[in-house]
Amino acid sequence: MRGDDGMHARRSGGPADRAESDRLLDAAPVGTPPETDADPLTRLLSAAAAPAAPGEVAGEERALAAFRAARAAAGTAPAAAAVAAPRPRRRLRIAAALSGLAATAVAGVAFAAVRLDHRPEPVGPPATTAGPTGPSGAGPAVTGPSRPAPSTPAGDASGAASPPAPTPSGTPSAAAPPPAPPGGDGRMAGHCRAYLAKPERQRDKALTKPGFADLVAAAGGPEQVEGYCRNLVGTPAEDPGDDSDDDSDDDDSPNGTSPQTDD
Amino acid sequence: MTAELNEAVAGAQAGDEEAFRFLYRSLQPALLRYLTALVGADAEDVASEAWLQISRDLPSFTGGEFRAWAVTIARNRAMDHLRRQRRRPSVPVPVQALNDLAADVDTADRAGEAIATESALALIRTLPPAEAEAVMLRAVIGLDAETAGRVLGRRAGAVRTAAHRGLRRLAAILERPAAQADTRDAVAPRPRTDRQVPHAPEAEPAEG
Repeated sequence: MRGDDGMHARRSGGPADRAESDRLLDAAPVGTPPETDADPLTRLLSAAAAPAAPGEVAGEERALAAFRAARAAAGTAPAAAAVAAPRPRRRLRIAAALSGLAATAVAGVAFAAVRLDHRPEPVGPPATTAGPTGPSGAGPAVTGPSRPAPSTPAGDASGAASPPAPTPSGTPSAAAPPPAPPGGDGRMAGHCRAYLAKPERQRDKALTKPGFADLVAAAGGPEQVEGYCRNLVGTPAEDPGDDSDDDSDDDDSPNGTSPQTDD
Repeated sequence: MTAELNEAVAGAQAGDEEAFRFLYRSLQPALLRYLTALVGADAEDVASEAWLQISRDLPSFTGGEFRAWAVTIARNRAMDHLRRQRRRPSVPVPVQALNDLAADVDTADRAGEAIATESALALIRTLPPAEAEAVMLRAVIGLDAETAGRVLGRRAGAVRTAAHRGLRRLAAILERPAAQADTRDAVAPRPRTDRQVPHAPEAEPAEG
């Protein structure tokens, strides 16, 4: 036993309650060095939270290289994660509903056909669908009738352009392959497709996002973007906008990758 | 600090490399120490993976506490790492090593010297994972109990309790004069944790 134990009231047992622990823990990261006669626990915490040693930031250049690479990868498909990732569950639900509808419709047609033709065996379903039983389990891609353009990749695909490593909580990265081969203007074209893929009412807002900053600059201002883009990638009609139903209200909470700490 | 960080986050999202550098320098030391408490000597590698992902996912960060966001990514990477390794966050600290650590701290304490950061981290690492994490998030990353709770998927109260237990345990280790340290209760707590979940190799190392 040490003679000076009496000097340190906290020596026996440490902090008495959670409140005292909270005070110790709150004080540690502030960075003020404890007095030399502070109790060992205080000094221990302070040591754990001591200012950085040079060796601890040795990976800086590697991190910056990763940052550059991520920027470059995002170039072909702009700020993808920020603007376009759909909320997976909702999309699935909608897809399921649509496929249900499609199945019903097809079955109805088939049934009607049988009735009309008085044939013993049912005729094939209309050419655009995958068959009465197919869609219900097969996912959104085959639920043809009401979704004229199942391959409107601009929105979904953007996420796929980032490197393949796993995201923290699984975005629906199974999406589509990257939209276009990056040609001379590939990067801006990618931006444009993503921009044009957005429903009209979201476009102004989208242009305020950092991911579109380059596009706005290239076009010469937010008002010019639309014309600029139509020049660059043509006018892909309005069909990509049919995504609006599922993302219209959640483009601010992109995907599961961000731990939502702002609630 | 937070305002500066937010500014840097916005800058980095717009592609500003210097802003990203600032983020790195602000966060990396604490992140590395936190990861050291989780994965020991592999912390550098895991930190690299974390920054890779932070770079990539930065565009999807939509606000809130950036440190908590980044530390969550780092934590996920650490958990993946541990899962790959199929082992506990650390091998149990041998009694002698624990005594040496306590002795280091004790010597510094007696001499009025600064306790080495490494010794402090090594001691914290001997705590049960949940306690070590709570202490690190609060004292080193500098999150409040609410935010730390969000990172850990636990209530703020649970975080406070875990941190408090950890501090008491640390105090007890420090209290034991190194010269007299015997094996009676000097066994690191980690083996006990193992015994509680003897057949749960998939058990989350830090109980989520």
